[in-house]
Amino acid sequence: MSLLLEVAMSGLLLGGVYALIAVGLNLQYGLMRILNVAHGEFLMIGGYVTYLLVSLRGWNPLLTLLVSGPLLFAVGLAVHGLLFRHLVRLRRTREELEANSLLISFGLMFILQNVALILWQADMRGYRYLDQPLQVFGAVFPANRVVAFAIALGFTILLFAFLHGTLAGTSLRGLMQDVVGARLVGLPVRRMHAACFGLGAALAGVSGSLLSMLYPLTPDIGVSYTVTALIVIILGGLGSVAGSFAGGLLLGVVEALGVHFTDPAFRMVLKYGVLALVLVLRPYGLFNTVARRPEQMQKA
Amino acid sequence: MSRKTTRREFVKGMAAAAAAAAVPVRLARAQARPVRIGFAISETGAYSVGAGITQIPNYILWRDQVNARGGLLVAGEGRRPVEFVRYDDRSEIETGIRLYERLATVDRVDLILPPWGTAMNFAVAPVVSEHEYPMIAPTLSSMQLQDFRLPYVYAILAQPDAQMRALAGLLEYVREQNGYNRVAVLHVADLFGVEHYNELVPRLQSAGFEIVLDRSYPLGVSDLSDVLRGARSSGADIVIGLSYPPDTNLIVNQLSSIGFNPPVLYTAVGTAFPAFRDNFGANSEGVMGVGAWNPKVPYPGAREYFEAHVSHLDREPDRWASASAYASLQILEQAVAEVGLDRRRIKEYIDSNEFQTVIGPVRFVDGVNVVTPGMVGQWQNGEFEVIWPREHATAEPLVPKPAWR
Repeated sequence: MSLLLEVAMSGLLLGGVYALIAVGLNLQYGLMRILNVAHGEFLMIGGYVTYLLVSLRGWNPLLTLLVSGPLLFAVGLAVHGLLFRHLVRLRRTREELEANSLLISFGLMFILQNVALILWQADMRGYRYLDQPLQVFGAVFPANRVVAFAIALGFTILLFAFLHGTLAGTSLRGLMQDVVGARLVGLPVRRMHAACFGLGAALAGVSGSLLSMLYPLTPDIGVSYTVTALIVIILGGLGSVAGSFAGGLLLGVVEALGVHFTDPAFRMVLKYGVLALVLVLRPYGLFNTVARRPEQMQKA
Repeated sequence: MSRKTTRREFVKGMAAAAAAAAVPVRLARAQARPVRIGFAISETGAYSVGAGITQIPNYILWRDQVNARGGLLVAGEGRRPVEFVRYDDRSEIETGIRLYERLATVDRVDLILPPWGTAMNFAVAPVVSEHEYPMIAPTLSSMQLQDFRLPYVYAILAQPDAQMRALAGLLEYVREQNGYNRVAVLHVADLFGVEHYNELVPRLQSAGFEIVLDRSYPLGVSDLSDVLRGARSSGADIVIGLSYPPDTNLIVNQLSSIGFNPPVLYTAVGTAFPAFRDNFGANSEGVMGVGAWNPKVPYPGAREYFEAHVSHLDREPDRWASASAYASLQILEQAVAEVGLDRRRIKEYIDSNEFQTVIGPVRFVDGVNVVTPGMVGQWQNGEFEVIWPREHATAEPLVPKPAWR
């Protein structure tokens, strides 16, 4: 198998995890216009939960998803109740909500990072899990990446099925399109907001657990993943799970190939480069059709 | 403050004051005034792995040994206990600089010990020189620093030119034996990596090696698998990582997890750590690294140092700069015993003498140890053997390295 194909596939594997991170953020932003830049910090916490359970209790990392997901769901509910519920109620315009939620979550980001610094210091922490080589279609990948990709893919498909195949999911999508309409047909808008925020945080937690299988943890890993998620959302379009998934994979491949042709030091530059290019060429996202342009969407 | 003090309060106060005054007097009689030795070192952050293995344990071992002997012998004063003033620089250069300023101007310590790592030492070197504190650095490896000629800073470690001369020499020998000629070079974009890179690559080129891959990566990198895939497909026989401890682990780990086993693998800082051997087990066998030192070297005190490190700290010293860290303390101890705590006289003494240490004889010319050569080590059966240069070797090079297990 040619090297380029192998590098691209390794990017795809990582892109699957990017997609899951972005889907979580997309739920929060697409649905409620809450721009939660502390999303990466929820991810970091999920990673540490897994690390602690693996290193202190000897758990299988995969099993820890059952803890990090629900735990972060609860944290998400609490954060929403404490910080954002009020904000959503008070907001007059969408812009005001976006700006205020950005400020609040920015503060939250620093608080969570510093709490993590106090609890776990700035040391790199990690454990080894399934890091032996695995043959996939003639190419060799670390087994843990393949596992992380498969699980991220599974979660994304589950979420897609939930949004498109269940009544609750359909109501959520309805809410995303038109809040007033959703109220009129009797949807419990406030509770759905809280649940949705919690779900986004839970997905961040799960992604963090998966990433901890691949990379060492430090309290400051969150920011780069928040940025990654934002880029993926912009690539894939607001509120679209399928778009986020495709965007995540694309970003993973571009990053892997870019690093291959340049230097690992350019990883973030490449990501921002993709973002800039998309903003210039297709400001509404790669996959958005004209009908889904923001000005044609109703006010959230 | 209009209320008058009653007689009862006055008596109580006097009694308390007398009691307080009595305690220090008794303590002072029991013990001489401590020699206060200050340092700031990375207890957290990217440098903490190396600092926690190479330097901090040796500082503690030496202090405890000296205090067990009754204290540091200071010329003209007899023995005084050693007390540390210790800070965490959090692997932040600017914090390190600030803390050394503080040690010199606020804490006014008697002596200082160096921080960990080339970039950090480089950054604090002007500060300690300005305040005239002699600093013998065991983890400073920089050609640039020599151009600055900072009078109070000493590099005890073999410097980049010496280390890379040794590595190039070994690779030429291996090429004669096995024919390996294609080299992939990765280096960390930190002062350490850059300087070693600049010393190594021209040497390899002029020796006629083919450089098939040449990449740098940032400090704290979390993924190098795609670069290593590139190294594999370029047909490299020799993979060289001019790396720091976290990325040393990353390179070895990711090479094995993509199933690429280069016949010659050299990684830099961290390879000589016992934790490296314990972490990778059988996969450490045959990995070469910058170094080297092991308890088999023929210098007086080497074996005793190794055993004291194990028994006092419950772990083995690393097989490179640990012994240099201890040797630098031996030099400082000897200087203070001869000339006291006058720092200018300590400097003059260090400049004009040759010292017998656990890394062998050490002599400084313009602040650089000119005796200890650059060396290459290799893990073989659980020991980091010195394999190059030949006259210092404790074992033959093992090439090609065994397959990953």
